[in-house]
Amino acid sequence: MKSRRQFFSMAGMVGGAAVAGSVSRVAMAALPEPVIEQGAQTRPPLQPSSGRPYRPVTTLNGWTLPFRMRDGVKEFHLVAEPVVREFAPGFKANLWGYNGQSPGPTIEVVEGDKLRIFVTNRLPEATTIHWHGQRLPNGMDGVTGLTQPSIPPGKTFVYEFVARRPGTFMYHPHTDEMVQMAMGMMGFWVTHPRGPNPLIDEADRDFCFLLNAFDIDPGSATPRIMTMLDFNIWSWNSRVFPGIDPLVVRLGDRVRLRVGNLTMTNHPIHLHGHEFQVTGTDGGPTPRSTRRYEVTEDVAVGQMKQLDFIADEEGDWAVHCHKSHHTMNAMGHDVPTMIGVEQADLARKISDLVPGYMEMGSHGMDEMSTMRMPLPANTLPMMMGEGPFGALGMGGMFSVVKVRRNQKRGDYTDPGWFKHPPGTVAYEYQGETPPPVRGGTR
Amino acid sequence: MTPVVRRVRGAVGLAVAAACALVAGCVTVDPAQSVRQLDQKVPAFGTESLQFLREVQKPEERREAVKAVLAKPLGQTEAVRVAMLNSAAMQVLVAQNVAEATAAAQSGRIGNPWFNYERMRSEDHLEISRMLSFGVLELLTLPQRQRLAAESRRAAEWQLAAAVVDEVTQIRQAWVNAVASAQSAAYAERILQSAQASAELARRMEAAGNFNRIARARQQAYEAEAVTSHALARQAASVAREQLIRKLGLDATQADTLQLPQRLPDLPAAPLEAAKVGAVASDARLDVQLAEAQLRAALRAEGLNGWTSRTDIELGLRREADGGARGFEVDLRLPVFDWGGLQRQGARARSLAAAQQLEATLRAAGSQTRESYVRYLTAYELARHHREELLPLRTVISEETLLRYNGMFIGVFELLADARDQIDTVRAVISAEQQFWLAEAALQSTIVGRPAAGAAESIMRAPAAADAAAH
Ligand SMILES: [Cu+2]
Repeated sequence: MKSRRQFFSMAGMVGGAAVAGSVSRVAMAALPEPVIEQGAQTRPPLQPSSGRPYRPVTTLNGWTLPFRMRDGVKEFHLVAEPVVREFAPGFKANLWGYNGQSPGPTIEVVEGDKLRIFVTNRLPEATTIHWHGQRLPNGMDGVTGLTQPSIPPGKTFVYEFVARRPGTFMYHPHTDEMVQMAMGMMGFWVTHPRGPNPLIDEADRDFCFLLNAFDIDPGSATPRIMTMLDFNIWSWNSRVFPGIDPLVVRLGDRVRLRVGNLTMTNHPIHLHGHEFQVTGTDGGPTPRSTRRYEVTEDVAVGQMKQLDFIADEEGDWAVHCHKSHHTMNAMGHDVPTMIGVEQADLARKISDLVPGYMEMGSHGMDEMSTMRMPLPANTLPMMMGEGPFGALGMGGMFSVVKVRRNQKRGDYTDPGWFKHPPGTVAYEYQGETPPPVRGGTR
Repeated sequence: MTPVVRRVRGAVGLAVAAACALVAGCVTVDPAQSVRQLDQKVPAFGTESLQFLREVQKPEERREAVKAVLAKPLGQTEAVRVAMLNSAAMQVLVAQNVAEATAAAQSGRIGNPWFNYERMRSEDHLEISRMLSFGVLELLTLPQRQRLAAESRRAAEWQLAAAVVDEVTQIRQAWVNAVASAQSAAYAERILQSAQASAELARRMEAAGNFNRIARARQQAYEAEAVTSHALARQAASVAREQLIRKLGLDATQADTLQLPQRLPDLPAAPLEAAKVGAVASDARLDVQLAEAQLRAALRAEGLNGWTSRTDIELGLRREADGGARGFEVDLRLPVFDWGGLQRQGARARSLAAAQQLEATLRAAGSQTRESYVRYLTAYELARHHREELLPLRTVISEETLLRYNGMFIGVFELLADARDQIDTVRAVISAEQQFWLAEAALQSTIVGRPAAGAAESIMRAPAAADAAAH
């Protein structure tokens, strides 16, 4: 899917007349060609071709930005631009992002690297990039007006600093940031340790994703940028379940989850079947003495967390935000509770007035996960997803850690649903059941 | 024809037969002729409905014909036909016209001669004298009076034509109102059903503990409002139906069988063109014709008055019985005290008034047509706009509302509120089309020279899309 904008150079070879903006080619010569990616599938980890070696991360439904070495400096080229992002099949949004997608590509560097990051602004308004959590010269911090002039549309700025400490970071605009982040501008950053680090264990699988949230009116495609808190799309790397890829691991792997939160609320990230330790936070690796086992870790607004666990239980283990409305897709917040209200006898009358009407909610909302009724265009059902045992009725910030004995090292291919050993799945009681006793007193 | 008319006719017939034998060129009155005249006088009035006036049939035949028409839903043209056949009011118009025409004809005749017989006895003497006397001036002015009578009768015919056009316009408008209000009432019932469903659900919601009192009461308040609107809509439909029944002159049995179409006719594909509307020459207009006829009659009357106001002459032929003495007698009224100036002044003023009336009618004619056409055209455009813009927009809103309900973005109460809004829009569409058909009837009437009012002032307003959420 990499295009590398090669058509520019090819068009130059063939004719030249068709080359748009060829005037700037000389000026652009010093710029690394921007790498643009389309599509929302998870790319395999990008093994470094030069520079100090490291074990690359896997960006969930994303990719790592290739760099070039130039006189001992790692050079990256980020392009801020409007993009179209598929959140899950059936729902695409008009966002702003970097290099073809939102979130932008993950930047992976090694502690001590000299960095030069070119940032080209193809947005209709000025922007900057703030390197969230980094130690760097104040003038490289990316705060419009405070530490630098903003990057006007059409211009390219250069950031230069040394990756001083290993850890998990993010990048995002610091110009009109409410709008630009509501539009999806953000990216992940990992600084790998330059050598063995007593506080950083080598992970076999290192997954990273950003928590982000949008408010997109069902039937439309562009986020409402003025929404403060009442978002309806809760996503990981601008994907929602069932659009989020599974986290595929081999039995016994040391697995690392790096999570950054660029939403406007906290998210308790919960893992089934295992205990993890918080091995890193905003400030870097945690002292071992502070580590304890957890199954849920809250990631507050603007925070990054690094969760390590040994995947020693085979199966399909849910991993999700524990705010249950964050594992749903868009829904109405003012829909009245219909539970316990018989509607069937009125349904005929109502469908006479509203052809196509179906009664819903008298017995709860689970029926939503199996109903397949027409929805507004470009809108996902509130609850969706199919598993081996039927409808999942999930959405938003939900995925599955698939732990498999036979998964090959370095193989991230989805192995399908777990084959449960006989006798290890909950089953229906077959004996006599007492007559049902109605709950409640009415 | 009603018995009244036939009696008039019979009486007139006898009188005319006798008189015509005496004086050639005498003006006669024939009601059937009157009606035929009417057809010629209003040739281009909307439908050919006036043709039906020709059908002079027996009451039983008319009843059967009406029954046949009423067997099916009654269209607008058929409504006029039924009224022509059935309406006593229509027959009253014709009879009144015959009465006026006979009065006019009467003035075109000379008074009957007087026969005077005198028998006087003195002691030895018996005197018998016979005298036949008649008005000489009457005889001398007979041609003038006949012309006056003809003009008066023509004016009466135009008057009748005008009255019939008015009546037909009212029938057509009554039909439009009856159909539209019945249609609208049917939709008001659907609104009520929606509100009832909401209220019933709300009561169950409260019983289940899902709604508090205020939420339940709000839904019930919509129901209460809907009950009111529904009652008013039903009343409006009943009133409009009764008005139509009266216009058609239906008796109780006929009224029971009256069925109306479910909906108003489709709008014409294009409105009448201004050129066509303006092309009706002003001298083809009923009001102009009527004013002209009245002016001619007034001028004739004035001319005649020039003579009759000054004097009166009677001639008597006398014959004595004994001795056979013959002679004549002339009575001449001497204009000593009254030279008739006031009468002539009055007649002159009446002519002037009639002339000014004609002038005013001619001047107003174009303006009335333009006004009526503007009303017609606006009503057409609004009706089209309602059907082709508002209704599709409202349909889109309802479709999307259902999709939003499917996705659980909104609840069933919002869905039902939207259904009510959509039906309100349908009612607004009906109202707009009703205004159009009322304006159309008014324009047809205006074109032929009977400026008529179109519709009520305003169209029922469609609910704004934004209101939906507030419900
Ligand atoms: Cu959450």
